[in-house]
Amino acid sequence: MRVLVVYCHPVPESFAAGLRDAAVDELLKAGHEVDLVDLYAEGFDPVMGADERRRYNTMVMADHPFPGHAERLQAAQGILFVYPTWWYGLPAMLKGWLDRVWTPELTFKIPDGPGPIVPLMTHVRLLGVITTCGAPRWWSYVVGHPGKRTILRGMRALCARRCRTLFMAHYMMDKSTDASRARFLASVRARLARL
Amino acid sequence: MRILVLHAHPVETSFNRALFRLVVDRLEKAGHQLDILDLYAEDFDPRLTRAERLSYHDLSINRVPVDPYVGRLLAAEALVLVHPVWNFGFPAILKGFFDRVFLPGVSFGMVDGQVRPILHNIGKLVVVTTYGGSRFRAMLMGDPPRKIAKRVLRATIRPGAPMRYLALYDMNRSTDASRTAFLKKVTDVMDAF
Repeated sequence: MRVLVVYCHPVPESFAAGLRDAAVDELLKAGHEVDLVDLYAEGFDPVMGADERRRYNTMVMADHPFPGHAERLQAAQGILFVYPTWWYGLPAMLKGWLDRVWTPELTFKIPDGPGPIVPLMTHVRLLGVITTCGAPRWWSYVVGHPGKRTILRGMRALCARRCRTLFMAHYMMDKSTDASRARFLASVRARLARL
Repeated sequence: MRILVLHAHPVETSFNRALFRLVVDRLEKAGHQLDILDLYAEDFDPRLTRAERLSYHDLSINRVPVDPYVGRLLAAEALVLVHPVWNFGFPAILKGFFDRVFLPGVSFGMVDGQVRPILHNIGKLVVVTTYGGSRFRAMLMGDPPRKIAKRVLRATIRPGAPMRYLALYDMNRSTDASRTAFLKKVTDVMDAF
């Protein structure tokens, strides 16, 4: 499977970077093709400006603000997001990547008449999230896992009908220990090895 | 009342901007003291940096990069958000405001690895927002922005403080009538602030 790994963390020596490396390593070992996007490393600008917003609903591919990202998205059969959960959701950087790269005509079509939008990312059969949360598991459930839902429900609705999902989180990161982090890394490796 | 009005939409002519102007207009007429924070107009950078991440839990320096915004947040007695929902979440520029300004020591404290909300200067919260999709579709997706507002933000401000979530769903198929009705609803809530 061609997997687009979308990684978002500002600190190169962070635990999230370790998760990214473990994920890429396991995917390659299992014979998948990996394309890695590192949003902070490339200095992605997540802020959609006025002009782009005005054109958004009628956006055609020739006008796409990030043709390179659009092509990589189109080539993906699986997408794996690796990011820290901040304020229960995606870092602004990653949220902006979804807003600016997942445009109409590329990822969905707004119908002329009534009826729901039409998904166009049907080549994506797997969506995964690997994340770290400061909050405990129970409170994340009370709040409804906003980041997870944005991706695994919101974006999934634009993917293949039977698109599989995967979600792994290390909760209570601020109380994490070497042992808890090592356990989580090992479980991420084990899970991705049997994709 | 000192009210911080936080707005995030890039387009001058948008319905969301009209809502923002309406909110400001009605609150000013009612004699409130407003601090208007239009994130696009201020060219706010929502990207939390490496340095900010590394000093995140150091209360003596973590607010330095965003000090003026922290000051404005802490000076407010009420908070009004006016923003669209994009992809079942906040626009990045607003998400980044939470990431960078709602810091430990500002909106919450950390006790034994657990969060304790402390933004108790905010005694009232109103969210005015617009969704492209229907309420049903948003519910299927778990409506993350509604949950963030009604559960997280509400838990962050003064305990028991009143909170309203005013949302117009299905903007992609809105009509003059649905928009007018929503403007009326927002007007009423602002007049009774």
